[in-house]
Amino acid sequence: MNRHWKYLIAALVLAVLIAIGYFSGRFVLYITMKIMILSIFAMGYNILFGRTGLLSFGHAAFYGTGAYGVALCSLHVHTHPILGILAGIVAAALLALIIGFFCVRHTEIYFAMLTLAFGMMVFSLMWNLRDITGGDDGLSGIVRGSISLGFWKISLMKDSQFYYLVLFFFALTVFLVDRMYRSPFGLVLAGIRENHVRTEFSGLGVKRYRLAAFVVSGAFAGLAGALGLLLESNVTPFSAHWSHSANPVLVSLMGGLQTFTGPIVGSVVFVLLREFIQRFTQNWMLWFGLILLAIILGFRGGIVGSTSQLLKKFAK
Amino acid sequence: MNAPLLEVRDLNKAFGNVVTAKNLNFILARGVLTSVIGPNGAGKSTLINILTGFIPPDSGEILFQGRSITDEPIARRVRQGLCRSFQVANVFGHLSLFENIAIPVLAVYRKAANFLRSVARDDEVRREVDKILERIGLLSQSHVPASALSHGDRRLLEVGIALAAKPKLLFLDEPTAGMNPVERTRILQNIRDLSAEGEVTFVIVEHDMDVVFSLSERVIVLYRGHIIGDGTPEQVKTNPQVREVYLGEEVA
Repeated sequence: MNRHWKYLIAALVLAVLIAIGYFSGRFVLYITMKIMILSIFAMGYNILFGRTGLLSFGHAAFYGTGAYGVALCSLHVHTHPILGILAGIVAAALLALIIGFFCVRHTEIYFAMLTLAFGMMVFSLMWNLRDITGGDDGLSGIVRGSISLGFWKISLMKDSQFYYLVLFFFALTVFLVDRMYRSPFGLVLAGIRENHVRTEFSGLGVKRYRLAAFVVSGAFAGLAGALGLLLESNVTPFSAHWSHSANPVLVSLMGGLQTFTGPIVGSVVFVLLREFIQRFTQNWMLWFGLILLAIILGFRGGIVGSTSQLLKKFAK
Repeated sequence: MNAPLLEVRDLNKAFGNVVTAKNLNFILARGVLTSVIGPNGAGKSTLINILTGFIPPDSGEILFQGRSITDEPIARRVRQGLCRSFQVANVFGHLSLFENIAIPVLAVYRKAANFLRSVARDDEVRREVDKILERIGLLSQSHVPASALSHGDRRLLEVGIALAAKPKLLFLDEPTAGMNPVERTRILQNIRDLSAEGEVTFVIVEHDMDVVFSLSERVIVLYRGHIIGDGTPEQVKTNPQVREVYLGEEVA
């Protein structure tokens, strides 16, 4: 697709999102924020999964760390949201650096199993460190502080106000991930996915790049977790549970692993479908499983990938 | 820079009972186009694997430009100028030809870690990649994914990726295998030209004797992990032990 069309669509989407912020009721705002937060989680995750080819089952640990980071910063240091979000991101990135260091030395199956193991350990730690994390009760009642720019104070107490902060970070994520995919670093990651031996023989230390991808995806997970915490005002260890780790995987697969917009589209479908299906049946997981099956068996490109393939066929 | 390009000391490697290197000692001099020949199982590919860092030796030392590289990882050896191509085309399948060549080029220009600038807008990289693609005759297919190439073109790409890393010493593992005469001529001409330019020293593992004897200044013959012949093509051709083991009496 022509680059100019892409910028046009991006501008349109941004306009729509801003409009939603102005005109929508609380529920629509809430859903849209959930979609944006999940998109941030999934876009960051897909750098590791779709681009570098590494399947991690433990990224909820970084999401949870981001959430606890903001919460603890807000309770013990300062309620300034940006400070808290930064604390969450840094904490998640550091944890990703430590865990990633051990995991990237192994490939494929062992990598996946190690991430699962570490994810479980993090969950367990959050559960057990009652004094810090509140144990299974978690931390609640986190206040969204206001942002002061000089003499101008922006309150974030109302969802309609906090919405724009989420939108800002969503747009920032889209921008950064796009730049990363077009960069030399992004190309090397693709090379590692395609042929890690040849990448090594091109003079690039594959472990190092894998670790970088791991930390970057962990940082975005932390950002998503931090925003998620500020949205819900509470966090429990379950935000780091490994079942939650499946979300970015599913979402990226649904949208299309090798596409840029895949994780975003996947997030939209995931959140809307879950809301919709939950009103009618308890078995939303069954339906999700069926959708996933359909995608893996017939539409490997995911929603975005398959659609663009179809469009290309029609163009010919 | 008085040290030889590559020095191998007492190299040993065995896989169980199969000995692929036994007290190997030899020196490779800069600028001497060398061929390594020998029957299958003689240890030629294993030797390349050991020298480039893909598998560790059982014992012995490898010195590249005077420095010991025996314990160094693959990527470090490549960055110092020791590179190889593969017998089976080992390319980046779903990436375009441009991207295939761009990866080693980015590594050479030390731009690979940059995560904010655009590759497509980098003129320096584009010029270098186009130059290499032009050299191997694949510039017109720059945007084609590597998996869509014909077998012969894929082998050309294979060598192109190895050359893009700007090596000082390049091991080519059967570069002409499966190529048609046109492609073979092209790649051999490239090797001859590049060798004459003096930047790269080629060491070629080959089975095609025409290639070996027409191209090489030096021929090393491996048999079951031992060097049984080492000299000019003429010397090796007339070496009785080599003839008995490998060349057969028909090659005169």
